[in-house]
Amino acid sequence: MLAYIIRRVLQMIPTLFGVMLLVFFLFSVVGGDPSLILGGKHLTEEVLNNIRSQLGLDKSLPEQFFIFVKQVFTLDFGTSWSTQQPVSSMIASRVGPSLTLTGSLLVVSLFVSIPLAAIVAYFRGGLTDRVVTIACTVAMSISALVYIVVGQYVLAYELAWFPVRGWGDSLFTNLLIYVPLPLLMGLLVSVGPDIRFYRSFFIEEMNNDYVRTARAKGLSEQKIMLKHVLRNAMIPVVTTVMMSLPFLMMGALILESFFGIPGMGNEVLLAVNKSDFPVIKAVTIYIAIATMIFNLLADLVYKLIDPRVQLK
Amino acid sequence: MKKILSIAIAGALFSQPVFAADMNKVLRVAFVAPETGFDPGKVSDVYSSSITENVFDPMLTYDYMARPVKLTPNTLTEMPQLSEDGKVLTLHIKKGIYFAPDAVFKGQKRELTAADYVYSLKRLVDPVTGSPTGYLIAGKFIGLDEWVKSAKNGKLDYDKTVEGIKTLDRYTLQLTLKEPYPALQYVLAMPHLGAVAREVMEAYADNTMSHPVGTGPYMVTEWKPGTHISLVANPNYRQRVFDYKPGDDLDDQRVAKEMNGKTIPQIGRVEVSIIQEDTPRWLTFRNGDLDTIDSIPQTLVRGSMLLDSKDPWRVDLKPDLKKRGIKLYRDLAEEITYFVFNMKDEVVGGYTKDKIALRRAISMSFNTGETIRNIRRNQAVKAQYIVPPNVAGHNPNFKAAFEYNPALANALLDEFGYKMGPDGKRLLPSGTPLVVDFITGTTATDKQWNEYWQKAFDSIKVKVSFRQMQWNEQVKSLRTCTYGMDGAAWLADYPDGDNFTMMLYGKNIGSENYACYKSPSYDRLYEASQKLSDGSERNALYDQMNKIMMADTPWVMGDTRFKNYVAHQWVKGTKAHPQFNTLWRYQDIQK
Repeated sequence: MLAYIIRRVLQMIPTLFGVMLLVFFLFSVVGGDPSLILGGKHLTEEVLNNIRSQLGLDKSLPEQFFIFVKQVFTLDFGTSWSTQQPVSSMIASRVGPSLTLTGSLLVVSLFVSIPLAAIVAYFRGGLTDRVVTIACTVAMSISALVYIVVGQYVLAYELAWFPVRGWGDSLFTNLLIYVPLPLLMGLLVSVGPDIRFYRSFFIEEMNNDYVRTARAKGLSEQKIMLKHVLRNAMIPVVTTVMMSLPFLMMGALILESFFGIPGMGNEVLLAVNKSDFPVIKAVTIYIAIATMIFNLLADLVYKLIDPRVQLK
Repeated sequence: MKKILSIAIAGALFSQPVFAADMNKVLRVAFVAPETGFDPGKVSDVYSSSITENVFDPMLTYDYMARPVKLTPNTLTEMPQLSEDGKVLTLHIKKGIYFAPDAVFKGQKRELTAADYVYSLKRLVDPVTGSPTGYLIAGKFIGLDEWVKSAKNGKLDYDKTVEGIKTLDRYTLQLTLKEPYPALQYVLAMPHLGAVAREVMEAYADNTMSHPVGTGPYMVTEWKPGTHISLVANPNYRQRVFDYKPGDDLDDQRVAKEMNGKTIPQIGRVEVSIIQEDTPRWLTFRNGDLDTIDSIPQTLVRGSMLLDSKDPWRVDLKPDLKKRGIKLYRDLAEEITYFVFNMKDEVVGGYTKDKIALRRAISMSFNTGETIRNIRRNQAVKAQYIVPPNVAGHNPNFKAAFEYNPALANALLDEFGYKMGPDGKRLLPSGTPLVVDFITGTTATDKQWNEYWQKAFDSIKVKVSFRQMQWNEQVKSLRTCTYGMDGAAWLADYPDGDNFTMMLYGKNIGSENYACYKSPSYDRLYEASQKLSDGSERNALYDQMNKIMMADTPWVMGDTRFKNYVAHQWVKGTKAHPQFNTLWRYQDIQK
């Protein structure tokens, strides 16, 4: 297994290089000129040239790419072009709130949607299945903005069960006071498609021969579901969850924006709007690295769930 | 993210006996967009300037109560003394003004001197600062440009005397201009020209944006970029007492009653949250978690205000808001919005009669009244002059906007040979297809505007092609004169007509002159107007410039929006000010 891990880690280097080339090409070659935004109202050639020189945009493209490579390997992306604050500290301060929200949303969503998906799969074709499926379809059809605006107005403003928006300094305060409402709104949006998605995995597993065999052997339905179907159905679930983990640090843009959560979603949007390339590049590289690591972890977890899986 | 104050400063907060602000009074406000930082030389956006205007002191400021706005000495003992030829200004700095405490001062009180303003002014034109507002003084003072060119390895020698910006003694500054520059007095009141201390700037050279240390009423104690900013009253702030003698105006009488005799500032802490979304910002204000908001969100205007569709000036808050004690303070913004034709464009540009006819027809096809009603929710008035209301040089009797008249627009196009093509759309007089290239942003509001423009173009049977792009791409097109039409807005940097008439000056093509408009007669009048102060002589020139603009039609006049500032009843001393971004230092809280 160690050899497999080393091999996969080595494979990450050319992949990361490819990502760097792509990111550099997108933002430094075909991307817009940030000096046009940073220059303020009175734009003269002199002002623009001065900004380009300060940002290093007057250097040749190979030179700029070399600097970028150096930044990636030292994980020091310099300062934001917009606020002139160190990118690393900006990201460090934003990742926590994003993970607090998206992490708890993922956990709660899994705890709600997997059991519900298993139940409706078990009762497939029955009334429970139909009611849940219709409810999921309705929930999916409503825009996230509607949930948020209505939720903020009714639950926070009118009933005062939650604060309308806000964020505190301690994890405990945030989890207890500020996260519940956005989490509830996020859950309403995500739980519908998740249940339907996971339901299909369960149904697929329940139609397999080994389930029929288990029943023929006289195993209880509970044992079949929990010991056999659930375990096998977890492989695609793990894939989905593992693939989504790197993006947790990206935050949830709409939820963060409406609920005043100082996370990455807002930061990335601001960076894109202001052509703040150091921030965009840093986030893209971090996501790429996290994606590769979590892909590797997903493969390792497969092996744990299903011993038949061979790591080659 | 940034704990800006050192512990030493926190200690200083409680060691000042003259400290008047009540630290238990906390004003909670919101910005609708994020700030970028607090170096007065480096920022130009409204939200960063909202902070810097409370932290730094320019030499002049505006009288809080006087309308129309009036300049008044801030850190000066009196208004600047101007030589007879209008080229030399002598400015006397008040003694005993101190910077807010900072670790750089090593526990000593640091007094403001004339040399600080010399440094701050020079800094604005230093390429290393990269100031977006440096243009306001570049090229104006004797020896300043030469000093900039004397940079060695990109570094400027700040100890070298510049003849046009020099101290006469510790508290006296002399500014010598190449040519008279009447608008300079307004420039000297801008927060970008607030005094910074050289040793602070040099100590924090790698991150001046997060170390604002000034002599203003507040200092920044915490900054979480794009999220939250905390300010506390500057313990070293000089003693200023609110003393206003009101006339007959009931609002003025109220402010005098609420504030007279109180020291400035009264509010000890200001907490700024950045809330970009309209609904949570409005709900947070309504439930009392924000004390004021700068403007009722446009999308919520109809739900919160009683409007008169015929008169945008007649509005009131809805009864449920009034019942909660919420108060509305309203005034027109110092701005103009307009749609601009690229005068170098092959289709809509040019100065021949047929091109002018096309631009006028397009102007007459657009129903500004309708967009004011439906997009602005009646919260704007038609722009009728290059210089908007509340700005020196505005003429309220001039009507520069063409009246909405699609029938006349069609007749004009017929007259000048814009015949119908086989597809029912007009052709150019040469017989080639007529398609107007209209560049636009990508937001929902941009799309809404495009729908009204589509309707306008349909009414005169002219084809239009909308090109959606990001803002920096739009700026690039505007600067390089590579577009047909676009929408634009200009907010006053200072309340003087010069800041608006410059937008059609030929030498500003590639910069503020988005129309790429060049008219020798306009330019001549503009250059003459620049040498004059506000008054009848300059107003006469402005009228002529507006007539030239109407004749050539490089713009479709847009509108000027209202600012609907609302505050809870416990916020005292509020009077909407067209020039200040914030009113914090003049307000009080009595719950």
